[in-house]
Amino acid sequence: MKRVLLALILTFASAVVHAQGALDAIRQRGEIVICTDATYPPFEVKKDGKIVGFDVDVAEAIGRELGVKVRWVDSEWAGVLGSLESGKCDLVMAGVTITKERKDKGYVFSRPYFLSGQVIVRRKGDSRIEKPQDLLDKKISVQAETTGQFAVERLGVPKERMLRFDQVMDGLLDVRNGRSDATVGDLPTLKAILRESYSELEIVGGPFVKENLGIVAWRTKPELISLVNRALEKAFVDGTYAKAYQQWTGDPYTAATVAELEAVRNEGSKVADLPAKLAPISANPQAAAKPTSAFAFRWDILRDSWPLLLQGAKLTLVLTGLGLAIGIPVGLLLALIRLSPIVFLRPIAKVYVEIVRGTPLLMQIYVIYFVLPAIGIELGPFVSGVIALSLNAAAYIAEIFRAGIESIDSGQMEAARSLGLDYKGSMQWVILPQTLRRVLPPLTNEAVALLKDSSLVSVVALSELMRVGKEIATNSGSPTTVYLTIAACYLALTLPLTWLVRRLESAWQPISRPRQGARRLRKVAA
Amino acid sequence: MSAILSIKGLTKSFGRNEVLKGIDLEVQEREVVALIGASGSGKSTLLRCINRLEAPTGGTVRFRDAEVTAANVNAMRRDIGMVFQRFNLFPHLTALQNVALAPRKVLRTSDGEAERDALKLLEQVKLGGKADAFPGELSGGQQQRVAIARALSLKPAVMLFDEPTSALDPELVGEVLEVMRDLAQSGMTMIVATHEMGFARDVASRVIFLDNGTILEEGPPSEVLVAPKMDRTREFLARVLNR
Repeated sequence: MKRVLLALILTFASAVVHAQGALDAIRQRGEIVICTDATYPPFEVKKDGKIVGFDVDVAEAIGRELGVKVRWVDSEWAGVLGSLESGKCDLVMAGVTITKERKDKGYVFSRPYFLSGQVIVRRKGDSRIEKPQDLLDKKISVQAETTGQFAVERLGVPKERMLRFDQVMDGLLDVRNGRSDATVGDLPTLKAILRESYSELEIVGGPFVKENLGIVAWRTKPELISLVNRALEKAFVDGTYAKAYQQWTGDPYTAATVAELEAVRNEGSKVADLPAKLAPISANPQAAAKPTSAFAFRWDILRDSWPLLLQGAKLTLVLTGLGLAIGIPVGLLLALIRLSPIVFLRPIAKVYVEIVRGTPLLMQIYVIYFVLPAIGIELGPFVSGVIALSLNAAAYIAEIFRAGIESIDSGQMEAARSLGLDYKGSMQWVILPQTLRRVLPPLTNEAVALLKDSSLVSVVALSELMRVGKEIATNSGSPTTVYLTIAACYLALTLPLTWLVRRLESAWQPISRPRQGARRLRKVAA
Repeated sequence: MSAILSIKGLTKSFGRNEVLKGIDLEVQEREVVALIGASGSGKSTLLRCINRLEAPTGGTVRFRDAEVTAANVNAMRRDIGMVFQRFNLFPHLTALQNVALAPRKVLRTSDGEAERDALKLLEQVKLGGKADAFPGELSGGQQQRVAIARALSLKPAVMLFDEPTSALDPELVGEVLEVMRDLAQSGMTMIVATHEMGFARDVASRVIFLDNGTILEEGPPSEVLVAPKMDRTREFLARVLNR
């Protein structure tokens, strides 16, 4: 018993020492690093290359309190919270909602510094959607892994009718294009976006879920939150907060706002008794108090999330498979057109290849999903994804086949033609069988590249392997574990493919060099 | 005796380079014509114009009673076999499959029958035992003999040989010439572009000396090779025979 007590005291002490260390380290380097996703007005948006917004003004106050400068790190939302654990940043300010789940995962929150709530956005005058219950039988877009998604899940909207996007903007665009019926998200953000753009959309009703937003640190640095709380109190008093609030929300800062914020002031993490609260996170109190190393591998996360990962891997495999199944024949056709004896057809294939090769796949996916509806072509996320991947792959595969066909000695075509075979027959029986063997290695490269590129379709709300990984990483508290696992999953998909091709290549060896035993001897009746 | 091939006023230019400058030539059935001349004299181009691997710039090529045109060339090529300097065997197919391909795909002969015929042809070129070898497993001489069997697979009436032994190691030349000699003895009509003066002398019924795109001299080997009338022919023969 004494021993346990001693251990507790020691860990408590080390946590405090470590804690002091965090502030000192920040003072020493002269800047505090804050991670965000700068696509979230009014909190933070990019304007002329600079991040500006409500959070930026509040962060200035925090920087002043510490006597250091503020450095912003901008990334996609899915990776933002994870960067706390890995030590990439000291704080996250991104309009983050304070939830019990996030606290349980080791995130420490400041007192609420903004009141928010989940609201519904619909197309103007769409009377089918008036209240939350109306969403149950509709298609709803959300930003992935936000409290908007969680609120829609809790309402009971089934997964297959929930489209999860990387950005709020994409969700709104999807509603405007008429593909989803409504989107759900943070009131202040949606209000700010709708004020600037999307005049076709409107917020209907008030927040149906109330939320408190806080500033976040990792559990090993609770003293940062004490500091943030102090800075916030000062900002409330000296008018910094009021000024920022009015500037960025466009709403007046009233006594009612102040009163509401005061009413929830205890909703943040209780920083004083933090080391004691830390213990239950892990069965081993010693491990819990220790700063988590960025390389700690957490098997428990895998145990909970492998069905999701498997689903993601399956979708990745299906997307790649279909991409190749369509891309290879289309690519071959393009190559044949490009080399066709009918000369006036050739430019068609050439122009196609140049356009597709010269533009990013990400943009092609966007165009097929978000832009084609403007000319009346409505395709679902899955169909859009498959089409984008196969059309993209077809362009590269066409070039592979073209080079392959051109590499076959011209004497082969002459010999075939001299035997009375026509052009088509010569291609079919003589040139293409040799080409196939020759293009196998570059084709394998393309297949592997396509498998990896298929992660880009997550922008149209498809939960393939990489996306699933990002989502798990966002909330797990251990991105290290998740990303290493994802890497292993990708290898598990690509290695069998390359192995299979190597087998195939050696089975087709006779073409490249003589090899005894490789031939299939057949009995021929004499 | 009517001509099986008759070529009139044949010209061929590659860009501004005129390679054939008006060739007139009649080949009789069962005749073996040896085309001799320096490299670049137009031997290959003449052969390739006969089966339209090159489209002639001017003049006509008639096989029996019909002109060889772009429209009927696939049918004509069944009657005009060709053997290339570099063999051009299909490397992804066995010797047997190389020989059986055209009957199967052009004549739509059943696989079994095509392969039986192919094996007979391979035996005819003394390669019955190599039916299942891939080209990469055969020597140059063996490959060229398979190529001859392949060219015979559609039972052509005329065989064109485009320097069939030029790409071979000297010790492998004999086996190919022997097969060609047998073929000539069996009565095949042949046009052979060659540098093998011994073969021309022993086998050819007529020798044609091609110089700079024109037929400079022609006649039986005993005249053209032994007592040429033209200086150019004499110079050429002196060069190749003293090699």
